[in-house]
Amino acid sequence: MVGHSTAQLEGKVALVTGAARGIGFGIATVLAERGSEVAICDLSGEASSAAADGLLSDGHSVIGIATNVTVPESLNAAVSRVIEAFGRVDILVANAGVWASAGYEERPHYNDADWEITHSVNVRGVVNSAEAVVPHMQERGSGRIVNIASHGGRKPRGMATGRTLGFPYSVSKAGVIQWTHGLAIELAPFNITVNAVCPGELWTHMIRGIYTNRRNLTIDHSRDLSGGGISGDFALAMQNTVPLGRGQTPRDIGNAVAFLASDDAAEITGQALNVNGGARMN
Amino acid sequence: MTDATNLDGAVTLITGAGRGIGLGIAEVLSERGAVIAVSDLDPDSATVAANAFNAGGAQAVPFGGDTTSQESMDALAAAVIEEFGHIDILVCNAGVIGAPGYQERSDHTEADWDATFGVNVKGFVHTTNSVAPHMRSRNAGRIVNIASHGGRKPRGARSTLGSVQTPYSVSKAAVIQWTHLLAIELAQHNITVNAVCPGVLWTPMWETIAENQKSNNPELAELTPREVFDQSIKARMPMGREQTPRDIGKAVAFLASDDASEITGQALNVNGGAVMN
Repeated sequence: MVGHSTAQLEGKVALVTGAARGIGFGIATVLAERGSEVAICDLSGEASSAAADGLLSDGHSVIGIATNVTVPESLNAAVSRVIEAFGRVDILVANAGVWASAGYEERPHYNDADWEITHSVNVRGVVNSAEAVVPHMQERGSGRIVNIASHGGRKPRGMATGRTLGFPYSVSKAGVIQWTHGLAIELAPFNITVNAVCPGELWTHMIRGIYTNRRNLTIDHSRDLSGGGISGDFALAMQNTVPLGRGQTPRDIGNAVAFLASDDAAEITGQALNVNGGARMN
Repeated sequence: MTDATNLDGAVTLITGAGRGIGLGIAEVLSERGAVIAVSDLDPDSATVAANAFNAGGAQAVPFGGDTTSQESMDALAAAVIEEFGHIDILVCNAGVIGAPGYQERSDHTEADWDATFGVNVKGFVHTTNSVAPHMRSRNAGRIVNIASHGGRKPRGARSTLGSVQTPYSVSKAAVIQWTHLLAIELAQHNITVNAVCPGVLWTPMWETIAENQKSNNPELAELTPREVFDQSIKARMPMGREQTPRDIGKAVAFLASDDASEITGQALNVNGGAVMN
């Protein structure tokens, strides 16, 4: 990439949750490329190590740590491990998230398990992540927190679909945005900024599940509207619903996180930035 | 390809770039390698700024330009394209707080509505009208509009300051809505359109606001305009400090870079957390 600069995050230490795949891995990759040392935290220790190994082989300074964001002790241990390895934590990216509970591909409506899992991972997991690292950042009088929400957490607009499966997820992501606002005010006196990035739609493991669900629920199962299977459905939806006409990539989200975590964004706090090709605006 | 730290060779037209926020934007973009067309209603200020950039080893050319006139903006765009061959980035920045005599008024006048709408809204429309066809023909471009967090939803108790700032805030809300609509129109041409909403900065505009607050509030009469400004920062800035024109420039640099290629139609507050969206 011509004009690419590793200086943007030179010498910073970042902890990214849910970083073994999807958006989280894209964020970890961009931060590492921009000069940051990165801790890849993921529920699966094996996946964390594999993801870290991939970046290590590109010459970056990375460690993988098995981390369950729903368990505060697990996050505390991860933060201690990062401080041990890299000396401090400058940047927290609270990214780990879930769409719905097991078996959702076949359901049109939410159930109790959907509400519980989205709340415990997407909301409490983000809260737990901040709580594990904030005392350390307060002590140092500096820090950057970037929460990964979703443009699904913004005000909805449209017509009834007869499906409510996505409600718990969207509500949880609205919770992440409000948490971002509140925490930003509390941590501002400590020179810690707190912002959110709201991704649009990306062709990740999560979106494949969502489009599988949509296809399973179409009345005429045999009809392949796009002629390209589920990924074709996705591409068609992007053309029809996104002004820029395409889905985003995990690296696009990483680019926005890198900016918010950089010195360039020192005066930006409490904000939620949509990275969604203009699909929703705030 | 460019990321936020490098805008190598990108030709950038900035209006109102002779002072205040516009000058800070021009400074940051110029340091990051952009070639700057410095446009200002006051051509002398544009010349001073361009000379400083050139002396620092950057490339800049001064231009006049009255954003309230479509003809003037057409001539400006043509002159910039003549000079540099094309325009990659347009920053619509030129703005006014109100009509002359603003410092002395507590309530808005017809002239305040005309001035703010004429410059802050129609000025952006004219500038865009002149540049967007060129960007469409190249199937590439970045437009960044400088709005204000004053264009966001207001919040507060009873005001002691009168309504004189209302036209300005309404015009900045219009800039945000213009940004949303234009983004949808230009997306198919691979042009992104975003807004930056600055918070509170010590610029000639805020000096005018401070003088207005002094003349409207006897309790502030003994303070200097800068002290009025400092009080305002302390009262409503979570981060406890003012923003600078360079802070706004850094956000513009990001939105104009390849790092932001999937961001369009958005308005980003750069305001130390004073207003959130």
